[in-house]
Amino acid sequence: MSATVPRGPMDTVPAYYPGCSLDGLGKAYEVSAQQVLEHLGLSLDRIVDYNCCGATEVKNLSQDVSIALPARNLALARSMGRHQVVAACNGCVYSLARANDAVNEPATRGRINATLERGGAPAYDGGASVQHILEFIYARAGIERVRAAVRHSLEGLTVAPYYGCLYTRPKRYTGVGKIPGTDDPEHPMFLDELLAACGARVVTDFSAKTICCGGGHALSDLDVSVAFGASILNEARRAGADLVATICPLGQINIENHLDRIRASYGEEVLRPVAYFTQLMSLAFGASLHEARFQDNFSRPDLFLRSRGFS
Amino acid sequence: MPIVEKSLVTVDRTEKLEIEGIDVSGDWNTFLRSRVQTDLDVHILDWVKGQPSGETISRCWQCGTCTAGCCMHTDYGLTEFNPRYFIYLAQIGYEEELRKYATTIWRCVSCNKCVERCPKGVKVEEVIHTIGSYLETTGGAPESPADRFDRAYTANLLQRGILDEAALFRAYERQEGRVMPVRQMLKMGLTLFTSGRLHTGPMAHRTRGWRKMGKVLREALQEDERRRQASVLPGGRPGGGAR
Repeated sequence: MSATVPRGPMDTVPAYYPGCSLDGLGKAYEVSAQQVLEHLGLSLDRIVDYNCCGATEVKNLSQDVSIALPARNLALARSMGRHQVVAACNGCVYSLARANDAVNEPATRGRINATLERGGAPAYDGGASVQHILEFIYARAGIERVRAAVRHSLEGLTVAPYYGCLYTRPKRYTGVGKIPGTDDPEHPMFLDELLAACGARVVTDFSAKTICCGGGHALSDLDVSVAFGASILNEARRAGADLVATICPLGQINIENHLDRIRASYGEEVLRPVAYFTQLMSLAFGASLHEARFQDNFSRPDLFLRSRGFS
Repeated sequence: MPIVEKSLVTVDRTEKLEIEGIDVSGDWNTFLRSRVQTDLDVHILDWVKGQPSGETISRCWQCGTCTAGCCMHTDYGLTEFNPRYFIYLAQIGYEEELRKYATTIWRCVSCNKCVERCPKGVKVEEVIHTIGSYLETTGGAPESPADRFDRAYTANLLQRGILDEAALFRAYERQEGRVMPVRQMLKMGLTLFTSGRLHTGPMAHRTRGWRKMGKVLREALQEDERRRQASVLPGGRPGGGAR
């Protein structure tokens, strides 16, 4: 980390951008992330009155709207006096970081700020770097602090670490190599290390680590999104994993939403429970299955974990 | 500039070929009529470059790194999904060939591996979407399911500033003519309701003070749509830059 130069100042308490998922279907992710942060003595300051980021959909209709949406959130973070924004969804990280890249260009910045002003939002002139919550936890707490916080080791569990597509890529947006504390876009390791620090056996050569879940086309191209969901679960199975850990609500929901279709097309034996990494960390830090909201997940990891002696 | 005229047959000359002491070398295929392709349309490249999402297309040097890693091409196994080739066809303006892929191009799932790896800084994923948009805007390609989803998603988002996931799901599935079995819907609804995650309809989240911003962004969206349509000349021909 020491070789890289920070783009801006580091905040003691960065801004937190929840996005639609963490306030909706991915509630278990937010609740468990909050528990993990508390245990590690970290905190984030929620952006109130945030709006959705537009993910990868809006940009296909309008470039300007797809930049203005995330730019408004970054502007709110700046008006809170923050220079760092942490998001937990890969789609959010992507679109916020993409807006940062876009406003580097003066003509675009002028146009976007005119739009924001007409809509009654503060202008955004850059200066808020974006980080995934996995990177935030890894870089701020560090492995030793995580290890020290473990009360109920995940020993005996074999976990496949699934990062998905937009976690740290593309680097031209996410600033890999420029912003300290960013993971490797081709072969990320932060999740592997955090889960291992919690006592889990982590599948090291999980070939579906960074493949796409098809979530962008979860409803519009069923063949593709079911096939990708199935291949993530199947690769986990082949690697001998009991469950899959996710870091993105889109990936989590895409796989879980397709469980019936995956079962029908690829067979029962492919299925594995899927859980947010923060749920697993929180469990390791002493939370009950219920507190970490495992019962929220459609793949019901709570049932599996109970059979393995967790309560 | 792209190549606008290209001979499809080159003279194949055999030099110094002797059979039993007799010189038989010469042009062997000159009996074929020379075929020159002249219907290449440079406007395609101009159109794509003229869209803000397509500006980087001309940096492409056809190395094929994008296709090699493309999850649609490699993982899903749809071999005709070839981003390098789509870019090539757009660059040289081979419209007829490009149109063969009108129902393939939209299937890009935006995983951005190509953007990550492109050594020339081409925003491949956005360029591919722009090429798809060209085919739809200039007629000929039907609106794809993904485009219909993009529209439904964007309209939903711009209403309150925060997505109403359940309403989007219902609206899109209905539009596509799919019906979720009642039992499954009840089960899902109940799970979401009892875990406090059913924020839909009147209970949907909203961004405070969104009314004005929503209006401005809807106008911007319409303006971009109008600009895209205006960049098509009468008769469906593309007319250069959109901005």
